Amino acid sequence: MAVYIQSAAQITIQSPLCDDWFTSPIRREGRYFRSVEPDFKAFIDPMASRRMGRLLKRAIASAMTALDGYKASLDAIVTGTGLGCIETTEKFLNAMLRDGEQALPPSFFMQSTHNTIGSVIAQRLKCHGYNNTFTHRGTSFDCALQDALAQFELNDISSALVCANDEMTEAYFQLFDQIGYWKTEEVTEAMFHHPTSEGSFAGEVSAAFLLNTQPTQQTLCRIDGLEVLFEPTDERFRQAVEALLGKADISREEVDAVVCGYNADRTNDEVYTRRLTPLFPQTTQIYYKHLFGEGFSASAMGYYVAATCLKRGEIPAHIRYKEGKATQPKHILVYNHFQDKDHSIALLSC
Amino acid sequence: MNELITTLKQEIIEVLNLEGMTPDGIDDNAPLFNGGDPSVAGLGLDSIDALELIVLMERNYGIKLKNASEGKEIFKSVATMADYISKNRTK
Amino acid sequence: MGSIVVTGMGIICGLGCGTQTVYDALRAGKPAIGTVRHLRTSHTELPVSEVAMSNEEMIEMLRLPSDRVVTRTPLLGMVAFQQAVKQSGLTDAVRTAFVNGTTVGGMEKSEQYYLEFFEGKHTEYIAAHDCGAGTEQIGRLFGHLDAMYTISTACSSATNALIMGANLIKSGKADAAIVGGTESLSKFHLNGFNSLMILDHEPCKPFDKNRNGLNLGEGAAYLVIETAESAQKRGATPLCELSGYANACDAYHQTATSPEGEGPFLAMTGALNKAGLKPADIDYINAHGTGTGNNDLCESVAIKRVFGDHVPPFSSTKSFTGHTTSAAGAVEAVISILSLTNGFIPANLNFSSAIEESGLTPVTKGLSDVDLRHVMSNSFGFGGNDSSCIFSKIS
Repeated sequence: MAVYIQSAAQITIQSPLCDDWFTSPIRREGRYFRSVEPDFKAFIDPMASRRMGRLLKRAIASAMTALDGYKASLDAIVTGTGLGCIETTEKFLNAMLRDGEQALPPSFFMQSTHNTIGSVIAQRLKCHGYNNTFTHRGTSFDCALQDALAQFELNDISSALVCANDEMTEAYFQLFDQIGYWKTEEVTEAMFHHPTSEGSFAGEVSAAFLLNTQPTQQTLCRIDGLEVLFEPTDERFRQAVEALLGKADISREEVDAVVCGYNADRTNDEVYTRRLTPLFPQTTQIYYKHLFGEGFSASAMGYYVAATCLKRGEIPAHIRYKEGKATQPKHILVYNHFQDKDHSIALLSC
Repeated sequence: MNELITTLKQEIIEVLNLEGMTPDGIDDNAPLFNGGDPSVAGLGLDSIDALELIVLMERNYGIKLKNASEGKEIFKSVATMADYISKNRTK
Repeated sequence: MGSIVVTGMGIICGLGCGTQTVYDALRAGKPAIGTVRHLRTSHTELPVSEVAMSNEEMIEMLRLPSDRVVTRTPLLGMVAFQQAVKQSGLTDAVRTAFVNGTTVGGMEKSEQYYLEFFEGKHTEYIAAHDCGAGTEQIGRLFGHLDAMYTISTACSSATNALIMGANLIKSGKADAAIVGGTESLSKFHLNGFNSLMILDHEPCKPFDKNRNGLNLGEGAAYLVIETAESAQKRGATPLCELSGYANACDAYHQTATSPEGEGPFLAMTGALNKAGLKPADIDYINAHGTGTGNNDLCESVAIKRVFGDHVPPFSSTKSFTGHTTSAAGAVEAVISILSLTNGFIPANLNFSSAIEESGLTPVTKGLSDVDLRHVMSNSFGFGGNDSSCIFSKIS
């Protein structure tokens, strides 16, 4: 059964809940950026949100925007989040370490479980359907999407909201800084093209995608398939790509572009080149992390960018990493990996 | 007592993050919890808020409740809560 | 697509290490609820079900280098994972996915070193904090895994891992899956549950009128699942069939279940539908039964909605193992399968009188020589995340 992305919404370090990044992106050069937030009052009344940290508010606002105008039933809510509501987790942890193990605030603990995000969305929508949460570092969203796609395939569901939500608190930025996740100097766009050191820059992502099986005028694109792999050999990787293309009955030459998670980290970026060059030597490559930053939910923006390009029928110059043949895009691969361990590759078409 | 009531209201607003609410806006005798019945006027707090109020009493007034259910009577209104605190506070 | 069968299982929990040890303790009616030994907490008054082995002992047993950067949650996971893989005889000649459920991840170490992290000390544990890090460490014990997934839905995590694994196999995305969950005790979790005032200061009394909360536990358990054809081809002996499973959301409150138990009701009926079974076909329910006022009442209400006047024998084995949170779904899946294959229903300890609103009485003494064909296991989590699965004798 064909699965379509009907709509998508994002709250990131670009202008929120719109596609301004496509035409007039905010240039991000630095080490750490927090999301640009919309006015949450339009989505949640203050009484209902009084215990919510900002990630929950972003999750609701992006989910409600993706679902705007959608009247049919929703069969599943699947969330990807690497760290969950880390801000409230830190609050509980700090209270415990500072004040000892007495009289600790329950609200912070309650929000510390990763599936708070998916459950708050379900409560908001009164959605009794399937609800699951994946917390697998840089492929958290890809795993969530795989869950939904497996159930579409089995005809167990015919609609799903698939989300990605991660925040980067000041404290967590510092922790990741300790272990070399970020560059020591400000990241510039030039570094994406000629990375000479390890590390990236931090961003935040809340993204929501509405998937179902009925194409409409509004439909962004079709998802032809997704492969999630752990430390694939070159042969296994090639097989997975061939399986994806074979199922959609297209050849490698018909792939118009590959979206890659280049993040200005030399080791990270080298993996994309090494894996893709033998299979797609001439194909256009798209990058997006220079706009949205790095983080466990960042890969969701790869899908977002691909879907937007397919819908609009163009790939704007500022996201073209490598020039291939100039065509109106019909088939785009979205390739993501985390430390060359977890890999995911999806085919989106229109 | 009046002073305690005003302080307590301020503390409740802060702990429960009741954005936009002022101590004057909370009736001393209005129910804090409506048991999910929106027709009952009051603050409309829930079970997690009750736990937060228990933490508030422990932190600020040195009162420790053993069981969450004891809160039911105490948290009927700001007035009943203030009354209980004034009789049982250890700080 | 043929049926999904279980060909291996492994477990470690307060009751001990390995399926036989756990089964013996259940038969003997010997719970493992006691005082804290390994966890560094001031709450020594709270009963817990701790795994007897220390981290160092597990590292030695697993023959890991003694300086390995590893936290207790993946260590427990590795012990159970190895047992499951060994019993099934599964190798990486089969395209295998690993789906792991966990919530605290490396918190056991993070809460010790958190403030020092910022001073540049113990920073090797920073990358060990998130849930996916543990999954990778466990998964590396298996030759080559084709894919890894980490699920975190609090106390239903492991059951959701099982559901995901089954869906991956049925949709052709994997040929076999190792599924389950792991969770160690942590100061963070103990204090979190304590802040919700749902920890009993005595051994828990699931489904009792005077129940007073849960006891936290720790442990890990995994199942190897694959298609019947795959098992046959490999010459593996199926232990049972995974005949039904479902997840639903209560969509009511973050920590409380709805009075009518809508989520649990949908999970149980969904699992029955998937299995093509009627309520009357279920011979035993291994209930979620945490011992909290809210859960046990709502679960009872939901059970009555599903089974009407013919509620099958049920018990909560959390009275033996404590609530192993993210691992609970797998720990209890293993117990359910032991129950099914041995014709034995474990007791619900510490029960004396029924909840007035439901009048339901669980099995209070272990029952032997029972003809069990279909066993249901319930796991409900924070956020109203409710899952049920059904294990059936091979027909």
